[in-house]
Parts: sequence; C-alpha cells; structure tokens
Amino acid sequence: MTNSPATTSPDAGPPGLGSEAEGTPARSGLALVLGALPWLVAAGLVGAAGYLGGYLATIVAFALIYAVFVTGLNIFMGFTAQVSFGHNAFAAIGGYTSAVLTTTYEWPPLAAFAAGLAGSLALAGLIGWPTLRLKGHYLSMGTLAIGLIVYEIAVQWESVTQGYLGISGIPSLGIGRFEATGDRQILAVLTAIVLLGAFVVARMRRSRFGRALSAVAGSEEAARALGIDVARYKLASFLLSAGFASLAGTLFVHVVGYVSPEVFGLHMVILAFTMLYVGGLGTVVGPIIGALVISLLPETFRGFRDYQDLGYGAALILLLIYAPRGMAGLIDLAAGRKAS
Amino acid sequence: MTQADLVLQSLVSGLGIGCVYGLIGIGFCVIYNASGIVNFAQGAFVMLGGMITHVLLVRYHVPYALAAFVAVVAVAAVGVVLERLVVRPLWMRKAPVFVMILATLAAQIVIERVTFLLVDDQPKTLPVFLDWPPIMLGRVAINYQSLFIIAGSLAIVGALALFFKVTLTGKAMRACAIDREAALLQAIPVSTMLALAFALSAGLGAVAGILLTPTQYTAFNVGVPFAISGFIAAIIGGFGRPFGAFVGGLALGLVQSIAILWLGAGLKSAAALSVLLLFLFVRPAGIFGAAK
Repeated sequence: MTNSPATTSPDAGPPGLGSEAEGTPARSGLALVLGALPWLVAAGLVGAAGYLGGYLATIVAFALIYAVFVTGLNIFMGFTAQVSFGHNAFAAIGGYTSAVLTTTYEWPPLAAFAAGLAGSLALAGLIGWPTLRLKGHYLSMGTLAIGLIVYEIAVQWESVTQGYLGISGIPSLGIGRFEATGDRQILAVLTAIVLLGAFVVARMRRSRFGRALSAVAGSEEAARALGIDVARYKLASFLLSAGFASLAGTLFVHVVGYVSPEVFGLHMVILAFTMLYVGGLGTVVGPIIGALVISLLPETFRGFRDYQDLGYGAALILLLIYAPRGMAGLIDLAAGRKAS
Repeated sequence: MTQADLVLQSLVSGLGIGCVYGLIGIGFCVIYNASGIVNFAQGAFVMLGGMITHVLLVRYHVPYALAAFVAVVAVAAVGVVLERLVVRPLWMRKAPVFVMILATLAAQIVIERVTFLLVDDQPKTLPVFLDWPPIMLGRVAINYQSLFIIAGSLAIVGALALFFKVTLTGKAMRACAIDREAALLQAIPVSTMLALAFALSAGLGAVAGILLTPTQYTAFNVGVPFAISGFIAAIIGGFGRPFGAFVGGLALGLVQSIAILWLGAGLKSAAALSVLLLFLFVRPAGIFGAAK
C-alpha cells in the first residue's frame, strides 16, 4: 500500500494545537458564546426530557448512552486518528457480561460492570497489540472482523446469551442501596456519567498523554522521531476507548432491562459514526451533540421507520463528502478558531 | 457415509463456494489496484446480482440467460454510479483510507435498504442452471451447479488474465496500478480507468451472486458476509493480487467447509474471521506477499 503517514486528513486531525484564543477581544467573546452554544443546546434538550418525561426521556436516555460510546470512539478516531469498526464488540462484551452476571448470578451491577470492563480490556489488548502495528485497511478490517465475531458468538452461544431471544429482566442501575428508577433518576445518572466522560476527555486532551496522541495523529513518523512510543500510545488510546464502549454497553442493558444481539450489530457502528461525524470529530462536545441530534431527528419523522437506516447511510455519505468536521466544525469555523 | 466421504463431500462444496469468494476477492483487488480504495460495497454487488436476476425471472418472466445478462450489466452500472456519486468526490478531496471504507460501507447500507424497500425482506433463490441428478464419484455427490460455479469462475479468471495481458485497456489499468502519476503522464485516462474498475468489479460480484444463488439463497442483507469473505480471500492471497485472491478464496472455502463439518454451520463466519485474524497477526502481507 502507499506510504501514508496517518489515516486521517489533516483537517480531520486533532484541533487545539497553537491557534487558541487569538484575535480581538470581541472576537474571542463571540467564540466563547459559540463555544458554549452546543453545551447549552445539550443541556436544554436533557432538561426538557427530564421535565417532560415519558417518551422523550427514553429517547434522550438512549442518546446519552450513545454519547458515552461515541466519546470513546472519538478518543481513538478523533484524537489519535486511528479507526475501529469493531467497537460494538466491546459494548457487546460489557453489556452481555452485565446482563448475565446480574440476572443468572445476581451480582450487583457495579461488580458486573467491572467484570465486563475487564473482559473488554482483555480482548482489546489481545486484538490491539498485533493489529495496531498495521495501518489503513488492515486495521479497519481486523476491527470489523472482531465486531462481527462477537456478534456471531452472541447469537450462537445460546446457553449463556439465549441467542436471538435475548436476556430480559435485567435490574436497573444501582450502587449499594441506591437504585435509579424512573425517568428523571436515570437521566440524572446518565448525564453525570456523560459529563464525567467529557471532563476526562477534556483533561486528557491537554495532558502529556493527550499531546502524545495528537502527535501520533499528526504523523506517526514525526512522533516516533520525537521519542514517542507510537505503538504504546495507540494501544493505550484503543484500551481507553474500548473502556468507554464497554461502559456504554453496561448502561444500555441496565436502562433498557433487555439485551439481544441486534443491539450491538453493525447498525451500531454506522449509527455511532454518523453521530461522530455530525457532532464533529476530535471535539469534546461533538459526540454528545451528535448523539442527541441523531437520536432525536428520526423521532420527528416517525412513520418513516423503514427509511431510517437508509437515511443514516445517505447522511453519513453526504457528511463525509461535504462536512468532514461536522457541526462542531461549522461552529468553530464561524468563531474563527480551531478548538471548541 | 464414512468420515472420509463426509470430508470429501465437504471439500467439494467448499471448492464451489471458495470460487465465489475468489471472484469477490478479485473484485476487491481490481478496484484497489486502480485506485488504492478498499470498496466495502462489494457485497452489495453480489446480492444485487442474484436479486435482480430473481426479480426479472420470477416477476417479469424474462428468460434465465437474458435475466442474468441484464443483471450483470445493471450491477456494473450501479458500480459506475457508486464511483461517480460517492467515491470520486472523496477521491478528489484526497480523503484518507478509512473515510473511503466508511463511505463505501454506508453505500452498502443504502443499497441494502433500497433493495429492501423495492423488493422485500424474504430470502429468494434461483433455479439451478441444469436440473440433472448429481454425478457420483464413489459415494461423493457432485451437483452440476457446483461444476457451473467452478467452470464459470475459472473461465472468468482466464478471461481476466487475457484482458490484463493482451488488451490495451487492460494494460492501461495495470499501469495505473503500478504508478498512477506515471500512467497519467503516458496519457492514460486514469479517472476513466477508475470508473471502469468499478464497473468490472461490480460485474464480477454480480456473476458471483448469480452463480451462487441457486445453491444458497439471496436476501437484501447477505452482502456484508460476502464482502468479508471476499476481503479475507484477498488478504490471504496478498492484497492487490487478483489471482492470489482467487487462490485465497479457494483456501477459505475449504477451511470453512471443514469448520462447518466439525464445529457446526453456526460458526462458519467465526471460523472465516479467525482465519483473517490469524493472517493479520502472523502474515498480513498474505501468502504471495502484498502487491506493493
């Protein structure tokens, strides 16, 4: 294959290097407003869902779970400029471990989550160590294969997963005596988790670790020349994002109370990529906005259910061609700076 | 039937399906060589080949051979449309490899859903080409459809070899594979070659689908597994080597048929994917080494 230094184009690479907070005071004021805008929109949507409850609350809860998943994907794709089509595998492992351990073995949710996380990280390490040495389509296909293998195992291993039938009766989220029941409590817990995730990512990006990832994203050769252990940082980024995916899987099964293989199919990957591209690759708020917008949009076109996947696919193609940096990118462009 | 007969019988069917994987794998290589793009909508072509033939044959009572021919031409046209609408704009923008893969995967989903909306979600099959009793070699039965698949695939591989070796267009496509800029300097219309590669590869996929559908079935969502198998075939053979991909397809078909025999049909894709992972870990360049 051709010797391309990175798998993303420069304009999709990690922002936030250098050109920060420059320009006139008026301009930086505008930037501040526009930078806060996505957060305000997100807060408004979640607030409205909490206030109105019912169906809207369910949709927003899904969106927040996806926000966790996409935030993880963004660490690997947005900040490290690598690609994985198999993150649904880690969500599936987290989700199924939680489902099986809390129902059949009656573990508390937190312990089951830890077990699922350990399983996901073990698989991510096992897969990541050899494949992350490879570039471009090998890595893509290797990860895609993992996603499909895990899906197939979920279907076939009926004694544990109950195949297509799925597992139902999964208890709701809880720690010790506290148990999140009702729309508002679930929304509150999910919002806290999403914010925590965003906080971790925001801190990470400015840290030594985050800067090393940006260097890897910019050019692996240059990063290596600077003394960065490229393979190790890529693996760390992969593990971190797999951890987010596993968490999302666990949250999903507890909130819905039911899991089947379809939940974590290829559909999940396409949906997550659409969210990531709508929200904006390599930004902190992008995954959250993307997840909310993409989850709410189809609800306004109910009755077009058959056309949903068609719509996602077509939208993704258009985004990739015409707006590779997504909505967050448009806001940044308007604000005349590079990072949100 | 003894164990040995069972194994032989499995290998015969594995050889048939392996030829189909090989054809799909060649489709991957033809596009990859012309453009450096891994086209993940390859599986959609296979599905469309069987599906369009079925619709023409069953709904409109078109003669079988004509229906198959129209299907191949139509799918080749779909390939060109895909290239014009999705791939070319990204290619012009010098989009990175994974954006291309993602876009073609999205295109795969779009084609799937459109097929679902236009036809339906029921599995469809085609009649076998010749309804004769299978040939018996000892206690191993070989049906005529398998022979058609094997003979058809070999004929196509032969024709492709000639096309790339003898014709001017074939030589031009090979030149693009070696060095696109140099080819451009030789006044080879590189962008036309890209469209042509998509047409050729889509047509190959359609043929694979038509050959295979009588022995299995087709439905709107069978594309992705075929694309994965074809991709694995291409990896085994060393990506970008069409004839390596064909050999890779045969190897994969044989491994898979043995896996079905010993592990059960449910795990056949898991077996195939494990072969892929094994190659990625141990020898990503494939048996014959990567083309570039």
